[in-house]
Parts: sequence; C-alpha cells; structure tokens
Amino acid sequence: MASAQSAPSLFWRLIDGLEALLRRLVPPKRRGVTGWLFLAPALLLVGILAVGLGYIIEYSFHELDIATYRLKDAYSLGNYQTLIERPVYRNVLWRSLLGAALVTAITLFFAFPYAYAMTRTRSAAMRKFLLIALFLPFFIGQVVRAYGWLIILGKQGVINAMLAGLGLGTLDLIYNYGAVIFGLIQYMLPFAVLLLLPALAAIPEDVEMASEGLGANWVSTFRHVVLPMAKPGLIGAGIVVFTLTLTDFAMPEILGGGTTDFVASAIYDSFFQISNAGLGAALSVALVLIGSAFVALFFSIAGSTTLDIGGEKK
Amino acid sequence: MTGSRGKSVFIWTVTWFCVITLSAPTVIIIGASFTAGEIIQFPPDGLSLRWYDALIGQTAFTDALWRTLYVSLVCTAVSIPAGVLAALATVRYRLRFRPAIQVYLLLPFTIPLVVSGIGMMVWFGELRILGALWPVGVGLCVINLPFMIWAVSASASALDPELENAAANCGAGPVMVFFTVTLPAVTPGIITGALLMFILAVNEFLVSLFLTDSRTVTLPVQIYNSIRSVITPDLAAISVVYIVLALAAVWLLDRLVGLEIFLKSR
Amino acid sequence: MAKRITGTGINRRTLLQGTAVTAGALMAPNIVIAQEKPKELIVRAWGGAWGEALKSGVADGFTAETGIPVRLDFTEDNEIKPKIWAAVDQGRVPPIHVNWDTTTNATISARRDVCVDLSDLPNLKGLLPIAKPTGLEGWPLVNTYSYVYVCAYRPEAFPEGAPTTWKVLLDEKFKKRSALYDDGIGFNPIAVIAGGGTLKDIPDNMEPGWEFYRKLKANEPLLGEDPDFTSWFQNGEIDIACTISVNARAARESGIEVEWTVPEEGCKVDTDGLWIPRGLPENEEYWAKQLVNYALSKDAQEKWCGALGLPPVYPGLPVPADLQGDPAYPTTPEDYAKLVSIPSPILVDNQPIWFAKFNEIFQG
Repeated sequence: MASAQSAPSLFWRLIDGLEALLRRLVPPKRRGVTGWLFLAPALLLVGILAVGLGYIIEYSFHELDIATYRLKDAYSLGNYQTLIERPVYRNVLWRSLLGAALVTAITLFFAFPYAYAMTRTRSAAMRKFLLIALFLPFFIGQVVRAYGWLIILGKQGVINAMLAGLGLGTLDLIYNYGAVIFGLIQYMLPFAVLLLLPALAAIPEDVEMASEGLGANWVSTFRHVVLPMAKPGLIGAGIVVFTLTLTDFAMPEILGGGTTDFVASAIYDSFFQISNAGLGAALSVALVLIGSAFVALFFSIAGSTTLDIGGEKK
Repeated sequence: MTGSRGKSVFIWTVTWFCVITLSAPTVIIIGASFTAGEIIQFPPDGLSLRWYDALIGQTAFTDALWRTLYVSLVCTAVSIPAGVLAALATVRYRLRFRPAIQVYLLLPFTIPLVVSGIGMMVWFGELRILGALWPVGVGLCVINLPFMIWAVSASASALDPELENAAANCGAGPVMVFFTVTLPAVTPGIITGALLMFILAVNEFLVSLFLTDSRTVTLPVQIYNSIRSVITPDLAAISVVYIVLALAAVWLLDRLVGLEIFLKSR
Repeated sequence: MAKRITGTGINRRTLLQGTAVTAGALMAPNIVIAQEKPKELIVRAWGGAWGEALKSGVADGFTAETGIPVRLDFTEDNEIKPKIWAAVDQGRVPPIHVNWDTTTNATISARRDVCVDLSDLPNLKGLLPIAKPTGLEGWPLVNTYSYVYVCAYRPEAFPEGAPTTWKVLLDEKFKKRSALYDDGIGFNPIAVIAGGGTLKDIPDNMEPGWEFYRKLKANEPLLGEDPDFTSWFQNGEIDIACTISVNARAARESGIEVEWTVPEEGCKVDTDGLWIPRGLPENEEYWAKQLVNYALSKDAQEKWCGALGLPPVYPGLPVPADLQGDPAYPTTPEDYAKLVSIPSPILVDNQPIWFAKFNEIFQG
C-alpha cells in the first residue's frame, strides 16, 4: 500500500518539476514557440529524408567516369541531358503516369462503394468483417501478395487450371501491363478505403434521404450529393494512391515480366545494374519533381483533404 | 441502408468483388503453405507441415524475424513522441508557414521510397551508422511518419479545446493539462497509429533492402531474396507468419480502440 | 566419387595439420601468428542451384576443415556492389567476406580499387590460364570456372529437333514464350551476330544487335534473372530462353523436360570469380582468403563445379556424366571455337552502355 500512496505524490512532484522546467525554458510570453518545439522531432526526422535527397541532388550533377566507376568531380548537366535525349525515360515515365492515373481511377471506383457499404451497413458484424477483410491484406505486404497472384494467375495457376479443365485453353494473365495494374489496384484498395471512410462517415444519412425524398434516384443522389460531400476523402485517397502507384517498385518487378518497368525500377537499375549513381540521381530528382507537381496540383484543386495534417478545425 | 434495390445491388456486388479480390492471395498462400510437394501450387499437392518444419530449422529466417520485430519496435517507439507532438502542434497551434509545414511533413509520401531508401543509405553510410540495426528502425519511422501524425491528429481535432481551457482555468499548468487532458484524449489515435507504424515496419521491404545487409537482414528482405533464389513453399509458410501477425494486430486494434475508429469522421 | 577416401579416411587431426601448413605457407615471409577465427564467414552467392552447389562444394567442406561456419547471402550481385563500394570509401566494415561475382562486375570493382590482392594464395599455382583476370595488375579476383549462356528449350515445342539458329526467337510461334536476362547479359554480342553483324563489329558497331532486339521486342520475351528461368520452365511459362546452362539443368533435374544447344551464331562463354572486399578486420580477411584458397583446391573445384555442371579452372578434372560432349561444357579448343568469348576489358567498358541500350529498347 505504501508504494501506492507514494506513487501519486511522486507523480505530482514530477509534474510540478516539469511545469517549473517548462516555465524556465519557455517563458509564458514566448508560448508561440511551443508549437515549434512540439513540431521539432517530426521536422528533424523528416529532415533525414531531406538530407538524403540533398545528397541525391548533389550526385545528379556529376557524371560517371567509366575508367574508375566513380562520379567525376566536375559539375555538369550531362545526366539530365541523357534523360532528355533517351526516349526510354520518357516512355517509362509515361507508362508510370498512365498506370498511376488508371490505378487511381479504378481503385477509387471500387473503394467508394466498399467504404460506403461499411459506413452505411446496419450490421456491426458485417462492418467488422469488411474492416478485417481490408486490414488483413493491408498488413500482409506487397511482395507476399504479388506472389499470391503469381500462384493464382500463372500459366499453371488456379485460373488457368480451371480454364484448361473446362477445355477453354489458357490465358496470359501475368507478366504484362494489365497484371501490374491489377496487382496495384488490389494493393491500393485498402489505402483508398481507409482514407475514404472518415469522409463518408461524416455525411449524414439524412442528407441522402432528403435528396431521395425529393425524388432524386440513387444515382443522381450519389452524383450530386454524396460524391461532392466526400470530395476531401476522394482527393486524399486519390493523392495517396496516385503517388504510391507512380513510385511503386515491387508490383511491376514481380508481375510485369521484366518489360513493364515503372520509374522506380529505372532508378534502381541506374544505381545498381549499371552502377551509374549520377544518372539514377537525376532520374530520382525528376521523379520527385513530377510527383510533387501532381500533389501540388491536387491540393490546389481540392483545398482541404483528409490528407491535411492537423489543419484548422473543420 | 437507404435507397433503392438497384443501389444496394450495385454497392454490395462491388463490395463482395473487392472482398474476394482482397482475400484471394491470402487464402491461396495459406493453402499453398500446407503443400507436401516441392513447389508452390494451389491446390496443394497433399497436405503436410513440412515447410513450417523447414522454416523453424532455418536460423536465417528466425533471426530475420527477431530483427524485424526489433526494427519495428524502434520504429514505433520513435514515431510515438514525434507523431503525437507534431499532431498536437498542427492541430493546436497557429503556426506560421502552415502550408510549407504540410508539404514538408508529407515528404515521406511525395519522395518515392526508392529515392528515400537510397538517400538514407548514402547519408547513414556517411555517418558510419549503416550496418547497425537501429537506423533501419529510424528509417522506417521516417517514411511512415505521416500515418502516425494522421492517426493522432484525428483524435486531437475531435478533442474540444474548451476542455483544456477548463483544466487550465482550474489552475492546472500546461504539463498537467497535457498529461491529464490532452494525452488521454488522443490515446486511441496513438494506439491506432502505433499499431499501424509497427505493422507497416514489419512489412516494409524496399527501404529495408537498402538499409540492411547480410548481418542485419530483416524478414521482408529475406523473403525477397529467397524469392529471387529459390521459390519453395517455405516462402508461403513465412507468409503465413505475416498473416498471423496481421491477424494479431487487427485483433489488438479491435480490443484496444475498436476497429470502428476508422469509421469516425474528422 | 570412388577415389574419395576409403575406410576412416583422413582423420580430423591430419586435416587440421594440413590447414595449419596452408596457413603457414600463406603467411610465408611474415611471422606466423595464429589468426583468431571469426564467428562466421559471409559469402555473397546466387540462389537456387547455384547456392546449393557452393554450399555442398565449398562451404560445407571449409567448415568441416576449419570449424568456421559459412553463411550464404543472396543479395543480388548488382546490389551488393555499390554497398561494398560505399563501405570501403567510408571506412566501414564491408557487409560480406567473399563476393562470388561475374568476372565483369568483379573487374569493375577491381578498377574501383576495393579488392584485396590474392596473389599469395598457394592454390593459384597450376590453375588454367583462364583463372587469371585480364587487364588488371596482380590478382584482385580469381576466376573459378567458365559457363555458357546456352539456348535452352522445351523439346516439346521443337518437334523437329533443336533450334539451329537464334532467329527462332523472332518466330511468331514463340510470342511471349521466350526469355532473356533482364539486362541482356549473355546475349548482347550474340544479338549482333544474329542480326547480321560479325564479331569484329563488337563493340564499335552494335547496331545489328539493336536491330535484332527491336524485332525481338515485338515478340514480347520475358526478362528475368537466374532463378526465374528455372521456375518459368517449371511452370510452363516459356519454350525457349537464353540462360546459363546451370538454370536449365536445374529445371531438368526437377523432372521438367528441358534441353539446350549452341545455335549456329554461337553462345557467349564467360567466367565467374571470387574476390574479397578491402576493409575487413585482419583476422577475417585472413580467413576469407583461406576460404577462397579452399575453393580453388582440387576437391572443392571438383564438387562445386561438378554440382554446377561447369568446367572448372582446376585442370584435368572429370566431366560430369550427364555433360560428356555437351556444348555447355567446353573443354577443347574446338568446343571453344563454337562459342563467343568477349575479352573482359571490352565487357567492362561497354557493359553499362549495352545494359542501357538494352533497357532503352525493351522498356521503350
């Protein structure tokens, strides 16, 4: 019992000590600093990325010297020139952007009804089931899931075995662009649903009922009421899915059969396969710029999204 | 559910299609892991636990699993204070340069993982800490930090500032208010965020690939490497370890905060 | 196998003495000091049949002899390279003790000056000349065997017999059913010849090869790495591939029908080697050298290369029974005449250019 009695007093003393410390460190007049103090650890952590990016930017201005396999000391724009001159990089970039757009559109199309069903179902058990169905794959990881698809869609996989069993011949279901897109959609679906949920939950059911009560059918209720109200969620989910897809590495590597590289593979190849860190760095910089431009574009169209970190009270 | 029959047919058809698509690889992998045959296939070629047995014998995998758990703990431990404070700062304080801060804090998402991974590999190398295990945890924390900040800021914006003001008016100092009002209010967010951080760290492979080497290899990298070498059913067996971890995380999340937290509007 | 020790064989003590003698010879001019044994030695290796061969042929024997466990690390060869470079540049301990590497990549690392000199290994004496790296001072690496990028095929898909020319890759019949390495390694020079060029065109006029690739791209080949070929054959994904014979042999040993041949244009022959990164603690470097030395011994060469089915650099070893007269196991000058060998310096200078061009065509 003694310890139970002394514990609170210790707690209070600790609190008092901290209060005193805080008063000394941050005089009440300067409380504006507190926000920045709170932010400091996160700023520093993300700073690690900023420094890493700094190194990459620096590398991008040095060309590879094949005689020594080191980057030359001299600064040059040679790597960027190579990026512009070789059509392959434009094609890979285009493939990634198109993939990101397709995956974003299709994923949102599927994620929206899923999230909607989850927020509107009356059955708590069903809601839980849908959440678990979402979380399990989300928590299993990309590499493992891609391999699951290889087992299902391969030449001797489950689907082709069934087709062959029915005498229908077999299909080329993997090692093509479609397979990559499909794998990415399945990978992104949980991200999208999770980001849509809060936005959909915020839409009162009464609003929909009112709309339908006024004679609108469900499709136009969706179009004119639900979708606009869910816009912050849609944009938030869209940004995440778009950027994650644009920069994905594993799905194109595993399901693409080697000829449907996205930009991340091209970066990896430059750094490792041809040991040209300068060129890889230039590609990285280009990807960061393009990705950021798209994010900025989305943000400027959307205003506030579910992605807002903190943000004003809505 | 409101609305017509057509709506409910549409919604539930899509939903069930999603459920099947989401679950198919998991089911297939679990099935394939019990094969008695030599290669991964479904339906399995006879039933056996031999690949689980093989797994336990491979210290490469068990060591990698322990390292993964360590790295994920480091990641979570670092992310909690950083994420909580950052979330409170962005929700509670009128900061100048807010848009710039937003853009900056989203860098982990806007910088592609392959770039983040290589960048950290280079800098950690310069710092001579590449090759140790803890920097891997820090690296994974950095790339997933926004998840933690979101989870906590969702709870934080739900907290009425008047509560804190009330406590302050009753004479509680800022530290006191923080520990007795603010922190309890955001705890569900912290638990959610921490579990997310942990599980994402357990899974992360691309950045881990750059930050680990053969002495510090973690499970996702080990799996990736073994996929590249021999694709035997022990891969499916390890994957089942992931499925079990995922189930445990979901169960914990449900017990501690309730899965419904993801349905809350902000 | 029969000649391998009868009865109780060599007992452990004589073995250990043997090691001590080797160790002494290695340290020759210096004072012999016992080097503390490391906890383990890490060898970067390729997986699948490759890793198994190294384990059974080299690692197990070395561990039995010295008591030092050997761990194989399956990090990709291209990936370990910059990691080692950075470690050496930054004065950190490199992530592995021994790198099993393609001669081209090893030579690049040697040019980068990150390799330990191996000239004092006693087992270098008497190896075939091919063991010595070309265009480099001393022995920053040692080649350990040759191998051929053969034309592997499923006989089922070739009812009229083995393909006689690489041009079959362009056949509509093999659309999506052929495979190459994902950087074109092993096929780049062959493509030049198949595209109507000659050996003399390499490396100055690679255009015929690139033209061949452009046509091939329309046929949508799969692109992968060593283990991919084995599993693609196993899963019936492909009918024909340019791959190292080891992968095709592995598929065959798992009961899949796979054959290989050298078409009229020839096949590229190349070598792999071992090297040790600089910057290891003295005792670990010492034992890493012992390991490389052991890998060059008659016994290890016979078992390791025998398991791989590749011609070793140790002279006069018997050819595995299933590879007698096999084009993938060149032994005589006539055998080599059918194959295409590109001097290492040319490969080193051009590899990044060829890889980039290959990528440009197939990812374009």
